[in-house]
Amino acid sequence: MSTTDFFSAMEVSASGLSAQRTRMNVASSNLANAQTTQAADGGAYKRRDVVMKSTDVPGAQGSQFQQFIKGVAVEQITEDQRPPRLEYDPGHPHANAEGYVAYPNINPVEEMVDMITASRAYEAGITAMSTAVNMAERALGIGR
Amino acid sequence: MPAIDGSLETLQAALTYHRERHTVLAGNVANLDTPGYRPLDLSRPSPGGDGQTQVITSFDDGGAFQGPDGNAVSLERELAKIDANRTRYNTTAELVSRRIAMLRYAAGDGT
Repeated sequence: MSTTDFFSAMEVSASGLSAQRTRMNVASSNLANAQTTQAADGGAYKRRDVVMKSTDVPGAQGSQFQQFIKGVAVEQITEDQRPPRLEYDPGHPHANAEGYVAYPNINPVEEMVDMITASRAYEAGITAMSTAVNMAERALGIGR
Repeated sequence: MPAIDGSLETLQAALTYHRERHTVLAGNVANLDTPGYRPLDLSRPSPGGDGQTQVITSFDDGGAFQGPDGNAVSLERELAKIDANRTRYNTTAELVSRRIAMLRYAAGDGT
């Protein structure tokens, strides 16, 4: 019977932490660019969203429960397709022919909620990881 | 081959089970935001047909109300399971320590 070790549990938790941190970065980027009227592709900045996917963990390979040990990874970062918010400002350098400026359709409340959720999920991942460390320490203490 | 009696082997199997289960539960927490993810768990070991081996199966833990993205992980439920599992693991580790202390006592001159 082949099993995993504590390092696989930590690997699983680490994958979750890294995915949540990416989500936090994307939310910060959305907030920072809430007024960006000209992004790299020319138009107004488009809100980004993180899509996650569960993955197999290399460290769990060979375990009899391999298929039930799931880490997580960011599958892709998508661009939100909601239309930009138009504001009439003919003097603005990025105004179109009709005098409207396209602003990204970003709702700061939505981004803040996303950041708080990511932060809580990060904390939960830390808890799971400290538990693995605590169990490993107890195992080291056997027989003392 | 049992060491004096079978208790250490039994305890070792229990430690292994709780360690594996922790990894599975940690995966549920990691997948808190994965669309369509359903939480997994390992069943308690039950004796196999030969009475020697332990059979552990995994199952869909049911989880919480499935959200609009199909994810059914309940953070509270998973953290509670992780904590209970940790306590069981630590208790088993303590039992191993005490069992070894008893064997040491018996092997010594009783002081």
